[in-house]
Amino acid sequence: MDITEYIKLVFTDYTLRTITLGTAILGAVTGMLGSFAVLRKQSLLGDAISHAALPGIAIAFLITGTKETNVLLLGALISGLIGTFWIRGIISKTHLKSDTALGLILSLFFGFGMLLLTFIQKQPNANQAGLDKYLFGQAATLVESDVWMMAIVTGICLFVLLLFWKEFKILLFDADYTKTLGFNTKVIDILITSFIVLAIVLGLQTVGVVLMSAMLLAPAAAARQWTNSLGVMVFLAAVFGAFSGVFGTAISSSQNNLSTGPVIVIIAGIFVLVSFIFSPSRGLLFKQIRFIKNRRDLELHKTLSFMFHIAQTHDNISHPHTIKILNNFQGYTKSTLQKLVNKNYVILEGNMWSLTEEGFNTASNLYNQQNPDNE
Amino acid sequence: MSNAQIEIQLIASLVAIACAVPGTFLVLRKMAMISDAISHSILPGIVIGFFITQDLNSPLLILLAALTGIITVVLVEYIQKTGLVKEDTAIGLVFPILFSIGVILIAKNANDVHLDVDAVLLGELAFAPFDRLIMYGVDVGPKSLWIIGSILIITIGLLIAFFKELKISTFDAGLSASLGFSPAIIHYGLMTVSSVTTVGAFDAVGAILVVALMIAPAATAYLLTTDLKRMLIYTIVFGIFSAISGYWLAHWLDASIAGSITTMLGLLFLVVYLFAPNKGVIAVLYREKQQRTEVSLLTFLLHLKNHTEERERHVNHLNEHINWQKVRSKTILDLALKNNMISFNKNIVSLTEKGDAFTTQAIDFIITNEDSQIEDMKDDFFLFRG
Repeated sequence: MDITEYIKLVFTDYTLRTITLGTAILGAVTGMLGSFAVLRKQSLLGDAISHAALPGIAIAFLITGTKETNVLLLGALISGLIGTFWIRGIISKTHLKSDTALGLILSLFFGFGMLLLTFIQKQPNANQAGLDKYLFGQAATLVESDVWMMAIVTGICLFVLLLFWKEFKILLFDADYTKTLGFNTKVIDILITSFIVLAIVLGLQTVGVVLMSAMLLAPAAAARQWTNSLGVMVFLAAVFGAFSGVFGTAISSSQNNLSTGPVIVIIAGIFVLVSFIFSPSRGLLFKQIRFIKNRRDLELHKTLSFMFHIAQTHDNISHPHTIKILNNFQGYTKSTLQKLVNKNYVILEGNMWSLTEEGFNTASNLYNQQNPDNE
Repeated sequence: MSNAQIEIQLIASLVAIACAVPGTFLVLRKMAMISDAISHSILPGIVIGFFITQDLNSPLLILLAALTGIITVVLVEYIQKTGLVKEDTAIGLVFPILFSIGVILIAKNANDVHLDVDAVLLGELAFAPFDRLIMYGVDVGPKSLWIIGSILIITIGLLIAFFKELKISTFDAGLSASLGFSPAIIHYGLMTVSSVTTVGAFDAVGAILVVALMIAPAATAYLLTTDLKRMLIYTIVFGIFSAISGYWLAHWLDASIAGSITTMLGLLFLVVYLFAPNKGVIAVLYREKQQRTEVSLLTFLLHLKNHTEERERHVNHLNEHINWQKVRSKTILDLALKNNMISFNKNIVSLTEKGDAFTTQAIDFIITNEDSQIEDMKDDFFLFRG
């Protein structure tokens, strides 16, 4: 199947269209809210909440007896919120640290959820089949109404985000200042946390419990590398998330036996890897290049300044010296000498070198901070 | 009790102890989430091991899985060191991606074999007794019992051998480095033990129960004591208690054993979280309320000491002046009266000798910025606390 054929299929095939749209919207909303989670150092909250949602799904099923997605997701939302606020309670009321609190809630809620699920399986009504799709996620089960649901929630998220943009932003970067300004930090905090929980719950059905945390983090972590502005970061994260969803769906649907969730996560992971390496200001590649360039400059400058100190002892600054003098000097190599010649700082004649007027002046100004050339 | 039931409880208890030891240190070192990450990211190791050996029982699987666990830790640390993201983000990125690779490997290649993601993650303790180790034609017990048993013995051996080093490097990495044992070696040793324990245990009980057994008993114990040895003992006791009671809960409900054990761990934690004598939520809330009252009392006494004029010391005036609600001012007046710090004379409040002495001393401490001394002083003066 080639690309044009695939694109045509996306627009004509109901299932493929639904899944592509669903994963794209999901990626966008998780990327958007994930930016806040990452910046608030709540990265693992997603992992904890997605596990903590399980008992809610089971209890919702036990109470209502239906497999209506919205009812189950409501249950998941409630138990996710209980988990989140219990995590906060543990952190604020005891000396247990946040990672312990997260791990506790994650494993305890999930275990309790498993207990309930196996308990449900033993119940006489055989209606429960498919509840475990929430564990690993099955994008194929998405229907149009789910996508509408996601779109509506995303719309609400976007609206609230724009409405309280200033408040969210200031809370992120200076919580104490926000308090002194008279904002009710608790309300803003609960608002943003609730939206993060909501986004996670929405994704359970598509990518499942384990992979949800990556969906929340990866687009945001990738976006963070390209910008220092919150607005740009949120936008980029949404774009990365949406693309991960679309590409992931495309790849998994083009091959047999490839579940969508893990592929989406790996695509998101590739976004992260590329951003880590190639982002211009923070990326590892350019950092390394800058490092090497700086070291070369330093060697050049060291050699030049060494030459300068020798030349200073002579009346004629262009008095020739043998290259041998430099041999014991660190930072001197054949290529640095050649570079100095190319820059017209030094003249080479056979085995002798001599500083030029220009070289002397540059060297004497080498450590002068006022000189803009030495930036 | 049938033989299988005893074996299941024995395996569960051994897993609980084996997890308790590294779990205690993970919780103390603020690295609890690493156990969650390891338990998920070992999946590709298991799958690759299976591709090589085509045998689910090969020790190579355990070896490769443990190796993947350590790779996870190294990767997390590497990503964190680049400074591009924080540590928790690094954890959150590494393990889902490794897990995804594992899931895809299974889906693409091992679809027709018995290697199920559900089974790996959730485990089924009930089947453990059926997988038996046969040596020279003699049945010597369930295989997982032997695996967990050996891991447990090694863990306990390492714990006893390196207890001092572990203790110092956990609480003061700088001191441990200056004393000459490298915190890095202890760190990776602990990570290796955690990784091996996770791998060995999750074959029998599943990934989630391993994480629960590593974190929950240790966290529960940490709310009850700050003594390391005692914490280890409590952790082990809580682990065994949940393992056995969880088994019977599962038996009664006919539900997942791992789920029941985790639920018991949860209940235990909830009880301790609420009712722990010093660090429980109720104790903390009570202490906060008491301190609020005592601070108010001190404010009130200072007010009395500062004002000699009767107008300022009239009961009704205090209400509006210090701006307390009626109930609160009554509580505080009662407390001061009970402690013999004030006396009434026709609705005019004045300090008694004892109240005066208390206030003077308190002012001294406040002026010299030794506010914390006031707490100790209260013990000398108070007959009743707020």
